[in-house]
Amino acid sequence: MLSNIFSIARNTFREAVRDRVLYNLVVFVLLITASAVFLGELTAGQEARTIVDLGLSAMLLFGVFIAIFVGVGLVSKEIEKRTLYTVFSKPIGRSEFIIGKYLGLCLTILVNVIVMGVGVSLALLYVEGGSLAATIWGTIVLIFLELAILIAVAIVFSTFSSPALSALLTFLVFIIGNFSSSLRDFAENLGSEFAKVFFAAIYYLLPNLSHYGFITNAAHGDFPPASLILGGFLYAICYSSVLLAISILIFNRRNLK
Amino acid sequence: MLGQIRMKSNSLTTISAISIIILGFLCVFLLSNFLEEVHPPIPESYADEDLSLQGEKLKGYSFGAEGLLADWYWMRSLQYIGKKLVNTQQNLNLENLNPLNPRLLYPLLDNATTLDPRFMAAYSYGAMVLPAIDKKQAIALIEKGIKNNPDQWRLYQHLGYIYWKSKDYPKAAETYKEGVKIAGSPPFMKSMAAKMTNEGGERETAREIYQQMYNEAQDSKTKESAELRLFELESLDDRDAITASLQASKSATGRCPKTLKEIFPLLLKAKLPNGRQFRLDKKDNVIDPTDAPYLIDPEKCEAKLELTKTKIPQL
Repeated sequence: MLSNIFSIARNTFREAVRDRVLYNLVVFVLLITASAVFLGELTAGQEARTIVDLGLSAMLLFGVFIAIFVGVGLVSKEIEKRTLYTVFSKPIGRSEFIIGKYLGLCLTILVNVIVMGVGVSLALLYVEGGSLAATIWGTIVLIFLELAILIAVAIVFSTFSSPALSALLTFLVFIIGNFSSSLRDFAENLGSEFAKVFFAAIYYLLPNLSHYGFITNAAHGDFPPASLILGGFLYAICYSSVLLAISILIFNRRNLK
Repeated sequence: MLGQIRMKSNSLTTISAISIIILGFLCVFLLSNFLEEVHPPIPESYADEDLSLQGEKLKGYSFGAEGLLADWYWMRSLQYIGKKLVNTQQNLNLENLNPLNPRLLYPLLDNATTLDPRFMAAYSYGAMVLPAIDKKQAIALIEKGIKNNPDQWRLYQHLGYIYWKSKDYPKAAETYKEGVKIAGSPPFMKSMAAKMTNEGGERETAREIYQQMYNEAQDSKTKESAELRLFELESLDDRDAITASLQASKSATGRCPKTLKEIFPLLLKAKLPNGRQFRLDKKDNVIDPTDAPYLIDPEKCEAKLELTKTKIPQL
């Protein structure tokens, strides 16, 4: 079972590379290089901080776009190209297929995030932000975990919806996920007990991506506490497992003929 | 046989998936609360970091979106002060906002007006709030506005107001006179120029200035600030009249009244500016313009604000 999953993951990664997904890295490197050169003039001695803000935000945004646009096509593209039938003619289960696809895209995002992280670190070294070049890596881990959840969200939608609608829904989940703390605060201030329960349920059902927001702190040289990284890691595993289980349930019932 | 095995495997997958969903959500529930607790908040001091981008330099790199960037700085300046006001534990003094340490307001407004030199709302807001932080910065901002918009009489009104706040009445009169020269300037600019020289320090002049600001304000924040100032002046008139009545009662009876209801007949006779009368709530308490009842300071035998309820700042 594991070898099947890893084969699919490997192929998903290869396919992403063949699809020139990693070309976004070129754009990113150009952006960071330009920032490192021009920000000196623009920021009155605050280049390092601005590079962290810009670099990590761009990393998150590029990652979100890859997670959405590649993630929503993972299943539908296979059906459209009819390659799915070739895969299922071999002793591979649908659950293995979904998990393999998820891990493959996670690997793609991981490579992407690592290369971007190296780019930001190098830019920071160039502008003499030496200590920041090291401390940003804690935040990069959190960004990756956030993206891993988002990939799972994209896969859930891709199992039953069209790519365009899936992309839209995933993007909405990303937006709501970053505001879910506000949703809970809003619920706490409501008078009605029903509304409180309703919004609290939404808060726990939707992914709380604000747990992973640490970019502003990172620009000040803060490293996320170990409890946050560990908790965030467990949260990402639990939430992604739930989403993948839902995807498998839906995909198992889907008529592919 | 093969069909049976496949069905069994499918139902096993379904049961496993449902178990993972239930167990997963349980963990998510617990972890979510844990992460809320361990996630460090953004320290308060981070908000007061010096601005990393300078408007003048940013202008060349904004790809034609200077207006949008100006809007962004404008919104940030409103939020910056708004947050500080909301978070402050102390009683607000509109004359001196320095205890809030709002040192980024000027750079934010400066960036906004550099990116959009015709951003009148930013100048108005700066004229209203900056004098309570740094009068020199307030003057610099409005002088920059006049340089960029010499045809705007409102900027002369703002500058005149700042000089008036600084009690530099001759300079205020001079500025209002300059404003009168601009086509379209309203008649009150002329009357202000005359009043500044002789009656600059009087409450009635202040009332007229804030009333004009309230009427002319183009953004809600400036309007709100002007309204609060008008309430403050109204409340000062009220308190003066109540204190006079309290003192009269004390002279007559030898003791300070315990409640304002005791001096009701005296309050009814008291004269307030513009023929106004005291405001009363449903329980016949004398209330200030923000609907909070006035109290009596028994030691001084004076009227005072109910600080826990009023929105009027104590001077």
